[in-house]
Formats: sequence, C-alpha cells, structure tokens
Amino acid sequence: MLSDKHEWLSQAADNQQVTPEQLSALLQQPELQQTLQRYQLVGAVLRNESDSVLPADFSDGLANLLADEPIYQLQNQAGLMQRIKGSIRQAANAEWFKPAAHGAIAASVALVAVFGVQQYQQPLEQELAMPAPILQTRPVAGFAIPVSLSQTSVDSRFEAQEQQAMQEQQRRLQALLQAHRQQVRVTDVQHNTAHPEQENREH
Amino acid sequence: MMKWLFGICSIVVLSILQPASADETGWALFNKAQQSVRQHNFDVSFVVLKGGQAETYRWLHGRDDAAEIEHLIPMFADGVDIVRRDQQIYYLISERPSLVTHGDSIKELPALLFEEPALIRTLYNAVAGSSSVIHGRSAQLLRLSAITDERYHYWLWIDVETGFPLRIDTLAEQHLRSENKALEIWQITHLRITPEMPDNLAQLMKVTLPLALPVEVKVQQPQQHQLGWLPSGFQIVPEPLQVPQLEPEVLSYWLLSDGLHQVSVFVQRSHRLPTQAYRDGAVTIYVQSDPQLDVTVIGPISVDTAQRLAASVR
Repeated sequence: MLSDKHEWLSQAADNQQVTPEQLSALLQQPELQQTLQRYQLVGAVLRNESDSVLPADFSDGLANLLADEPIYQLQNQAGLMQRIKGSIRQAANAEWFKPAAHGAIAASVALVAVFGVQQYQQPLEQELAMPAPILQTRPVAGFAIPVSLSQTSVDSRFEAQEQQAMQEQQRRLQALLQAHRQQVRVTDVQHNTAHPEQENREH
Repeated sequence: MMKWLFGICSIVVLSILQPASADETGWALFNKAQQSVRQHNFDVSFVVLKGGQAETYRWLHGRDDAAEIEHLIPMFADGVDIVRRDQQIYYLISERPSLVTHGDSIKELPALLFEEPALIRTLYNAVAGSSSVIHGRSAQLLRLSAITDERYHYWLWIDVETGFPLRIDTLAEQHLRSENKALEIWQITHLRITPEMPDNLAQLMKVTLPLALPVEVKVQQPQQHQLGWLPSGFQIVPEPLQVPQLEPEVLSYWLLSDGLHQVSVFVQRSHRLPTQAYRDGAVTIYVQSDPQLDVTVIGPISVDTAQRLAASVR
C-alpha cells in the first residue's frame, strides 16, 4: 500500500499523469505534498538543476544525524559478546570436566585441532639411539597410515582391519593430546612445582 | 717473565669474562622482549607454522594503571576466543559453557615470553646473535640454547625499536643444516603498538565474564605404576587435575614440568599396535607398546627422551 502511494507520487514528480482521485488526495493530505516536494527536490538534484539549491543547513543537519548514530563494530566483537552472554547463562566450567559429557572431548578438539600429525616409523633400536629425523608421511584424511602396513600386507581383509586399528589408535592419541593440553591449561604449574633446580633422578 | 705471566693471566680472565658479558647482553635482550609483551598496548597477528600447516591468530593486549587484559582470537574454523583479565583466563565457546582457569598468561601463547627469567636461566644460555630484517623491521637474533639435551632450543628475533618478539623458532639442533629445519615457527605477520589500549579491549574490560566455579577435587588414587626416570630439571606435578573422560582407559598418569614445558605420561592397557611416534609442531607424541601396556608420552621433548621416559615405567 505504502509502495503504491510512493509509486504514483514518484510518477507525479516526473510530470506523469495522475488520476482525479490521486490529485484530490494530494490536495487534501499535507503529508503527500511534502513527499512530492522531496521527490521533486531529489529529481532536481539528480538532474543537476541550478535552482535546486538544498537548504543552507542541509549538511549541518546531516552531520548532526550522523553524530547521533551509534558506532558499529564490524568485527567479531559482537559475536564474542554473544558468546560471553551465552556462557554466563550456562553453568560456567563444570561441564568441561564431566566424564559423561561427550562434548568435553569435542570441545577440546575444537579448541586446538591436531594438524600435521606425522608418522614415525617403528624404529630399530639403533635408530632410537640417535636423533633420527621424523619420517614425514602425509596424513590420509587427517590420519597417518603406516607405510609398512599398506606395502607389505597381501591379505586385504587383514590390511583393512589393521588400518582400522591404526585409525582407532589415532583417535586415542588425539584424545590423549587434548587431555595433555587441557592439563597444561588448567594447571598453574608455578604453584604446583617446587624450585626447578632439581637434581636428575635416576632409579 | 712477569710481563708474560701478566699477559697470560689477562687472556684467561678476559676469556672467562667475555662469554658472561655476552650472556648478560642476551638476557637483557630477552628481558626486553618479555617486558614488551607485558607493557605495551598492541594489536598483532601471528602465524604458527608446524611443518606444512599454519595456524593464524590475532592477539590484542592492553593495560592501564589498574588492570591488564589480552584477547587471543584464532582465525580458523572452530577456534576458541581466549580472554585473560589479570589472573583469570576465559575460553569462550559458542553454545558451550566457558572454561575459566587461573594464571598470568594464556597457555596458547609461547610460554617462553611469560615465565620468570630466573627460571629460564636455569634451563638455557642466552647468546645475542646477528641483526637481520623481518617484514621490513630491524631485528636482533637471540639464541636460547638448552643447557641439557632434553630440551629444544629457541631462536628469537626481537624488534630493535620496540623489543617485541617478531619470530620464535623451536629447534631440535642448532646446527644450520638444510635438513635441520625448525620444528615450529611462531611469527608475527602484523604489528601495531599503540599508546592507548585497543578499543575492543576497553569494552572487554567492562563486560561481565563467567565466574570460575570451584573445580571438584577428587581424592587422588594411588598410581598403579611407577615412573623410574625424569629428564633433567623436570619434576612430577603433585596433583594434576583429573581429566574424567579418560579415566576408564588410563591406568596411571603423570604430569611433569620444568616450569616452562609440560610433559604428560599416560599408561593404558595394550592395544597391541606397533611402537610409534608422531609430531605436532614441537610436541612429540610417542607410544610404546608391549603385550601388557601402552605408555604414551606427550610433550615438547625429543623422541629419545620420550622413549626413555616410557621405558622407565614399571
């Protein structure tokens, strides 16, 4: 309805014909007259007509309007504030430590994702004795698959089972890595350890 | 004869004093870097390179007379905003309860920049190196060489003008060979130090953040196994918080610390898989498997040290 009203007013501002009813409404309603006046002013400015001078205080008025506008933060600060509010509504950090909460591991995985876990080939004794470089096998779908298994096995079923077992191992290790990181986060080491100058302990 | 004797004595004294002086220059540079990340108001971005993987973060820090605040923003999916206000650290996750911990630094930032210099001096020697240019800024190299073999070395490049650390490499060995690349590189990609606190932080300063609820402390069960060896300078943290989701699977657990690095040792029933080691940046994940037990060692130590630790479990 509103758009219909504006459409015929806009056409009227462009000197197009109006119906007798529309003309009658325009003559009776000051609101429509003001709207038509604004449309004509806009048109005159767009056409760059010399007699379409804006009111002298137009720029001052616009500046005042802008000054009253709030400052919008176009960063993720708003999202962070939402998260803060959301987290306050919930029961703080207790859930992080509940064994039944499956989210506990998921949350920590989300916290620091494990990237680039590289396979270290099962070492020979003599290789362990020296600082051998880590064998850099690219992970497959996020998991490292041992080269030896994929190359030497002839029984495909056996190979599939072994690979499944290795993937399960990867899952366990990622859980342990997250548990380790969680410990580092929550442990105030400075208050939990004595002076670091401790003698090497050999049993 | 006396002249010769005097000359020899002078050379001996100078040769003793010179490294000590060089060391002090290095430690002065190190202190400058630590003060820089504590004292300045800044808005920086950095990237952590682990092998072929990169993680990017934005890090804001501010302080006024009364309080200190910093905000670490991971710039990747599923990242968690971390806010520290003085001694409280908040991990803020969408639609999940927050984790609130206590400490004077965010653990996801390089611990080296925040631990007591006196402690770090017990573990490392500091040697100032050459100057170079990083991202158009003049930087001074500082080598922190581990005193014993168990720890990795750190090379820091420190901004000459501000003292801000521009890059930190973690190295297994210090010899510059092509195959001896850094295990992990932490590098500033954007640096903006301002006289005033960043606006975002000023807002965060006033926001009500979640309260830290007391953590339920369980009675520590006696360990089923014994750890027979500790790397030099490490000791067992007496009461690590338990991680309940692992309780059914973990038979024994130790958290070791030298004050700067932490190492976890987990003992589980054997899954009868080969002994393996993995790496996530500077963190080694070593699994020793035998027919009875799996011992997993996780921490910023060499595979050799991890292997020795695992082998010492009885």
